[in-house]
Amino acid sequence: MATGIKDKVAVIGMGCTSFGEHWNKGPEDLMVDAFVEAIADAGIEKSQIEAAWMGNALDDINVGNSALPLAHALRLRGIPVSRVENMCATGSEALRAASYAVAAGAVDIALAVGVEKLKDTGYGGLPLRTKGLANDLWMPYGSAPGSFAQLAGAYAARHGIEKSDLKRAMAHVSWKSHQNAALNPKAHLRKPVDVETILKAPMIADPLGLFDCCGVSDGAACAIVTTPDIAKGLGIGNPVTVKAIQLCASHGWELQYGEWDGSYVANTRQAAKRAYAEAGVEAPRRDLSVTEVHDCFSITELVTMEDLNLSDEGRAPFDILDGRFDRAGAQPCQIDGGLKCFGHPVGASGLRMAYEVYTQLLGRAGDRQRGTVDLGLVHNLGGAPFNSIAAVSILGRLQ
Amino acid sequence: MTLTQKTRKPIYKIGHCCQVAPTNEGRKLPTTPSQSQTSRFIAAVGAYAPLLRLERAAAAKALTFSGLGGRPSGRRAVAGWDEDALTLAVEASRALPQPEAVTFASTSAPFIERSQATLLVDALALDPSVRTGDVAGSRRCAVSALRDALLGRGDTLIAAGEKRPATAGSSQHLFDGDGGAAAFVSDRGAAQLLGHASLSHDLVDLYASPERPQSYAYEERFVRDTAIGKVIAPTIKAACAAAGVAPSEIARAAVHEPLAGCWREISRLTGVTAPNIAADLAQAVGDLGAAHALFAFAVACAGARKGDLVLLAGFGSGCDAMVFRLTGEMPGAREAAALLSKGVAFDDYMRFLSLTGAVQLDWGVRSEFEQKAQATVLERYGRDMIGFVGGRDADGNVQFPKSRIPVRPGATMPEQLEDVRLADCAARIVSVTADRLNFTPDPPFWFGLVQFDNGARVMMEFTDGDGRGFSVGDAVRPLLRIKSRDARRGFRTYFWKAAPADRPTIEG
Repeated sequence: MATGIKDKVAVIGMGCTSFGEHWNKGPEDLMVDAFVEAIADAGIEKSQIEAAWMGNALDDINVGNSALPLAHALRLRGIPVSRVENMCATGSEALRAASYAVAAGAVDIALAVGVEKLKDTGYGGLPLRTKGLANDLWMPYGSAPGSFAQLAGAYAARHGIEKSDLKRAMAHVSWKSHQNAALNPKAHLRKPVDVETILKAPMIADPLGLFDCCGVSDGAACAIVTTPDIAKGLGIGNPVTVKAIQLCASHGWELQYGEWDGSYVANTRQAAKRAYAEAGVEAPRRDLSVTEVHDCFSITELVTMEDLNLSDEGRAPFDILDGRFDRAGAQPCQIDGGLKCFGHPVGASGLRMAYEVYTQLLGRAGDRQRGTVDLGLVHNLGGAPFNSIAAVSILGRLQ
Repeated sequence: MTLTQKTRKPIYKIGHCCQVAPTNEGRKLPTTPSQSQTSRFIAAVGAYAPLLRLERAAAAKALTFSGLGGRPSGRRAVAGWDEDALTLAVEASRALPQPEAVTFASTSAPFIERSQATLLVDALALDPSVRTGDVAGSRRCAVSALRDALLGRGDTLIAAGEKRPATAGSSQHLFDGDGGAAAFVSDRGAAQLLGHASLSHDLVDLYASPERPQSYAYEERFVRDTAIGKVIAPTIKAACAAAGVAPSEIARAAVHEPLAGCWREISRLTGVTAPNIAADLAQAVGDLGAAHALFAFAVACAGARKGDLVLLAGFGSGCDAMVFRLTGEMPGAREAAALLSKGVAFDDYMRFLSLTGAVQLDWGVRSEFEQKAQATVLERYGRDMIGFVGGRDADGNVQFPKSRIPVRPGATMPEQLEDVRLADCAARIVSVTADRLNFTPDPPFWFGLVQFDNGARVMMEFTDGDGRGFSVGDAVRPLLRIKSRDARRGFRTYFWKAAPADRPTIEG
């Protein structure tokens, strides 16, 4: 019977570029910058890396297909390099692949890189393209905010919450991320914004206003993973280890079967349940020191608090407004600013989240350090609530 | 040997009884309409008008500086960006029975080489053995096709739709409207054809061509005098004579006028004193081209009683006139009449210009995306899409689209799904948003998850939400609309969008 990968994989080095509008950098620059930081952190030679995975979601408008861009950028000679893609959960997929390779004993040291270069396309960066496929004959060409905005109406209907109250809670989510990102030199959007401004912002997709939506950015992040024994051999006595990585993908149930009411993300619940079991987390509200969740939109973070069992059903708006997930709250979420303000280079985001948890676990977060951090959770969501890929990872220390 | 003109056989026929042979004096023009009598019926009618109705006065006001705009009274129906002649004809035909033959009639058909009638068969999920044909050539084509169906055999559906392009400032731009109408012809029904007459006459009152898709109109006084005196009035009189009725006996008229305000003179010349519903229709929704006379006939039937005589006349490159006697209530007539007061009036002239293609707005880079459809994909899935056909699995669960392994929890292996049409099923909204980021030619882009009463659920675009919007729990109904429009290649695909289950009443 499978025992999972808890404590079978150690993270010995991570790197992350600043996220933003890197007009003067291409994907090669971003990957190299993230890698240089990570390998210096790990204290190994590049030649010790035995396999690599590149996560990139939107190859058609930026980095290019296959894993060759990574192999070329880092000059990875003679080793297997693969590209993975699972929409916005791509970064977590890269980490999962590298971790599984190490846990399986296939390689000793593996590299996971996530990268996205969105800002060369001249606008928000998320393309709407069709290829004449079967789905193009019927699926609406909705935008990402449009897809996630639907959570709000369904959530309000399910829990009998006034839309204005829900909107206030959503505004608090965004306010919090702006506050946090102001302390993060690598964040894309570092300017605090008051709640009134957030509430009065132009509407993007009802009820999501401009500040309810994350920024899309250029950026890269990477991780170097190995076994705990090798980590110790490298002089890392108590390494950060992977406690769990779980993933769950829609099989069409939400879109085609009449049970889902549109107010939550079913795959997050499933992935979280399995991740908690794999990591041995019995009480996430007690055990998790920090969380980095996929706050592509404020409403996403709100429902994710319930999907991860960090709030009771129907209570997330109240917990949010009570400050429970603020930086100084009982269970801080998005200390680094989140997708909302750190930014969202799609294929890099999962690894960026892991980077923040890793940084917090090692006590390196500077002004935004959350005291002693024992266990952190990464929630990375691809697709849309009605057709999603949810990845939940838990990182901690070996001892 | 050279045959003289006088000894040659007649080489062609015009109409039912006029045989014309060339003479030394040149081609002899028929001076009287052809006539005949039959005993076929219109068994049901259908009509469809788009939700939006432009206040002509508002348009005229916007054009005040120019002196253009024509008559500022009444409203014209304005199709959404996602409607065209086909979708309008389909909506008009949805309640009609399964026919043996379908004729699609329009002067603004979206395809020249691709049969709209065939698409209509798929959109209505009719049996593919139905005979199909498309007619065009003048706005009279639908009435001509109706006449031929009445003179022919079998159950026949005549479906007309019109969304004609026009240049801003032209009188047609405001006088015309968008809409659809349909008639079902059978051996029994509610309106018996008593007599008819036809006249072919190349009167160039207006024309459109591939080089100039927007109609070009000639001098109105010339058109009025010629059309009434030489084309419409003689044909109507001939039809009444063929039917054996006095024009004064006609209770309701549906006579397609070439221009507004012609009925008084037509009435004087023919002796038909009944109100012309087609004129009222032009005031309410505009001149609907090929669909106009059929739509007007449907409305005329709604106001008529059993035994009443109803005159139907189509105009354009001649005239076809038919006299019917109502033998009972006409199915679909009341619904057609009710459409006139259901909709949303608007006065945004710039939106009107955009919706009608009279101006091309620059929608920015978000509108620059590829929409090429693939023929192979259409061949595999297209009929299920335009017909909105899902599948029922072994446990009775309905899903859309169909899949080899059903979505039902517990289904593990491929099953054969039974076809289930969703187009006519009741549904409610599960989730919805007004997306203002995504490109659409008429923002915002409404979409969300729709739950059908039979268990199916589909992520759908919403349409016709003007003034009310959409909320979770709202009742909706599917309407056929354009799904994608590939302007570069001149292609489009169709799918169904969710509209409010009912329409508001137009105020004022």
